[in-house]
Amino acid sequence: MAKKATVQPALHKVIMVGSGGVGKSALTLQFMYDEFVEDYEPTKADSYRKKILLDGEDVQIDILDTAGQEDYAAIRDNYFRSGEGFLCIFSITEDESFQATQEFREQILRVKNDENIPFLLVGNKSDLEDRRKVTFQEASDRAKQWGVPYVETSAKTREHVDKVFYDLMREIRARKIEEKTVNNGRGKDKNKKKKLKCTIL
Amino acid sequence: MNFSKDCNGMDVKEPDKTLLSSIDFSPEKYVRDLSQHCVGGPELRRLRKKIQNLSEETNNSLKKNVYQNYMQFIDSAKELSHLESEMYQLSHLLSEQKSLLTSLCTTSILADDSMIIRRSENKDENVKEQNQINHEKLASILEKVEGCKELLEVSARTYLYEGPLAELDPLENTVIKNVQAYLFSDGLMIATRNGRGLMKYVFETMYELGSLAVVNVKDLGNIKYAFKILIFPDTRIFKCDSETTKKEWLEKFDHAKKTKLTQDQQKRESVPEKSPSRSISIDSQSLNQFEELEDTVTAHPEWFLEAPEELDVCIAQRHFDDALALLQRVVEYCAHAQQDHVLIEVQRKVDVRHNNLTQVLMKELEISTGKSMQGGLGASRRAVRLLIMLGHSNQACDLFLKLCTYLLKIQYDRTKKEGSITVYVKNLSGIIFTNICHMTEEFLKNFPNSSACCSAYLVWVSAQLSYFSNHFIKRVFKSPISLSNLAECIDLVRWHCQKLCTYGVDLCYQVEGALRTYITKALKDFNDKFVESIKFKALDDNWNPTNLKSKNLLSKCLNEYAEMGLILNSYITGDVWLQITANNMEFSKTFLILLNNCLKLETTELLYAINDTISNVFEAQIKQHELILSEGTKADQKTFVIKNAEFLLTTLMVLCQRKYIEKLGFPCEKLKQIQDKYSSLITVISPTTRDIKTKYSSDQYL
Repeated sequence: MAKKATVQPALHKVIMVGSGGVGKSALTLQFMYDEFVEDYEPTKADSYRKKILLDGEDVQIDILDTAGQEDYAAIRDNYFRSGEGFLCIFSITEDESFQATQEFREQILRVKNDENIPFLLVGNKSDLEDRRKVTFQEASDRAKQWGVPYVETSAKTREHVDKVFYDLMREIRARKIEEKTVNNGRGKDKNKKKKLKCTIL
Repeated sequence: MNFSKDCNGMDVKEPDKTLLSSIDFSPEKYVRDLSQHCVGGPELRRLRKKIQNLSEETNNSLKKNVYQNYMQFIDSAKELSHLESEMYQLSHLLSEQKSLLTSLCTTSILADDSMIIRRSENKDENVKEQNQINHEKLASILEKVEGCKELLEVSARTYLYEGPLAELDPLENTVIKNVQAYLFSDGLMIATRNGRGLMKYVFETMYELGSLAVVNVKDLGNIKYAFKILIFPDTRIFKCDSETTKKEWLEKFDHAKKTKLTQDQQKRESVPEKSPSRSISIDSQSLNQFEELEDTVTAHPEWFLEAPEELDVCIAQRHFDDALALLQRVVEYCAHAQQDHVLIEVQRKVDVRHNNLTQVLMKELEISTGKSMQGGLGASRRAVRLLIMLGHSNQACDLFLKLCTYLLKIQYDRTKKEGSITVYVKNLSGIIFTNICHMTEEFLKNFPNSSACCSAYLVWVSAQLSYFSNHFIKRVFKSPISLSNLAECIDLVRWHCQKLCTYGVDLCYQVEGALRTYITKALKDFNDKFVESIKFKALDDNWNPTNLKSKNLLSKCLNEYAEMGLILNSYITGDVWLQITANNMEFSKTFLILLNNCLKLETTELLYAINDTISNVFEAQIKQHELILSEGTKADQKTFVIKNAEFLLTTLMVLCQRKYIEKLGFPCEKLKQIQDKYSSLITVISPTTRDIKTKYSSDQYL
């Protein structure tokens, strides 16, 4: 593991979830290529990878842009299982998409079985203030309830786009360090296991 | 009638035919009535005599009827046997057609009967066609990929797409291995390349489509054309050759998923009670399936699972009996075992081996130029027997008969053509018919219970005999041959045909029919030649008694003719003279030979031609006597000529008729007519000759 880390920068896996049409792909593309795609085309499941500098450290971000609509729960679960952190996106112009975040949150928690999974609630399309249906308060209340940050973004204006990705990656990184220390605490067990294996061999 | 009526006063009928043959006639009752009403012995005796007469009469008429109908009976029996063979030929044709159709059906790409039943709707046909193609595809995948027996587990599984992919390390993006991926309507199968065999893959895993998360990798540094598969805990990245193949893959995935979804929904709607269990968890469900699968896999014995390989070994080592035994064992096992995908899989493989075995066996029987035919039919016995047991008796029969044809042809070529025709015919017919008899025995041994094969065999024999007949005709009739040799040859062939009859193959009529016209023509030719020579010899005849020069020679001559059946003692005058012309002496000799040969050739159908020939020749000779008498010769010579005519018309004629009757059971009408026609020649003559005539004729009858 240590060897690999020197060759390849740490990889953080981020998953974009949320209802269809809320701007998951737009956010991803804005983050990846600094461009805003106006045309809407439903995504199936796309993945992107980018090398970035996170607080002076070379890391890789792996973004899985999922489909807003996935017919098979089992497939959706498999997407979620592969993620280390989640951006749960809704459109502030669409209440339904906000309501759907509840379900996404529950699913992710069920799949990951971890209350503290790195997670950001993202209200997109903040440039469309005039068409707002979900108030900031409403959304941040929900975020508070979940114990996660709430950020409003605009894929069009690139407002807070980098922020949500970087914030999430920091959380993921922090989480990984935390796990490492836990693992180190349990390190003796692991060593024991390894020794056992050796004797068998 | 009157008498009985008067006597009895009651109506007891006199016995007559109509009464006795009436339906309600009861003998007991009739006799009782008679004895009641008849008074006295004489009356009863009279009635008894009458009944006896009636019985005799009936007997006679019955005999007559039988005799009259006898020929008819024989004719119809013959006709029946012809019809029988025709029916056999028809049946053979039909079975040939049938096997042709079935072979067409099996070779056709389309399934089962879709070829024949064109009336079925186009849509149905398309579906069927697709099913068939799918089935074939699955089968070919099964052959290519080791260890993917689960493939047939789901009956509705259809093949959608396949292609080579390179698997990448998810972290380092380097190529780990090359795989072959197969997309089915319900899952994705990954098979890794097997280093050992060419074009062989080893089954690695099968992902259920319902839980397979496919991710389009849009950006992965330098890596292009990649997609990801997420199935917890696996994350696998695969790389395609090009953008188009990747696009194709993603589209196929999407399409497959959508189709599966609609199908699942339909299923859910049609089986509502099943939906709760489905909603519990797909994972656990698939686990259950897997467990079930494991159970059935272990249910089959090892020998059964290894049967296809074992069969390959057996066929390769030419242990055909073992292969067949194993095949039968598999079939038996399949009949009782539980139906599952493993069974179906093995069955399918075994079917392929079955076909292989059949092919190999058929090859065994095929005739090739390089092949030694030393073993003859005996060598083919095993292959034929096995083919029959494999259920290919028609093909076996066909090949067997082809082999027979080939063997016979070799015999034709081998038989030496040197020497006289009779020797050749004797050799050839002996060899050919013995061979056919032998082949018949072999055939009956090989195909004891198959009517289709039997008819094929009869058709074959018939073809062989007509080939033989043609050969015979070419050799015998197209070259100069004496009548005795001809008769001998034909007699030989007939004898052989008769021998074939003992095997139940009665084709005498066929050979006879083929030869008849040629025999008739030959008879006519001999007839013409003979008549010609008679006329020619008559010109040189000076009508003198024959001088035998010495007593010794005379007795020698007498003995010679006596052996032929002609007693010439009464024609002797002096010590060395015979009162018969040398010409007539020779004629009687040759005519008797002709008669013997003709009688040898005799069949009912040829009788007319034979009668013609002998009567024509005989008449030609007697006519010379008539001619010389009508020319008005000296009285001396006249008596001599008449005596000669008398010799022909009585002594010779009686002998001829006797021989004729011996053979046929009745005298020759035509010869009799000639005898009657020319009897005036000898009746117009002096009493001395008449005495002689009566004397000799009575002698002959003694």
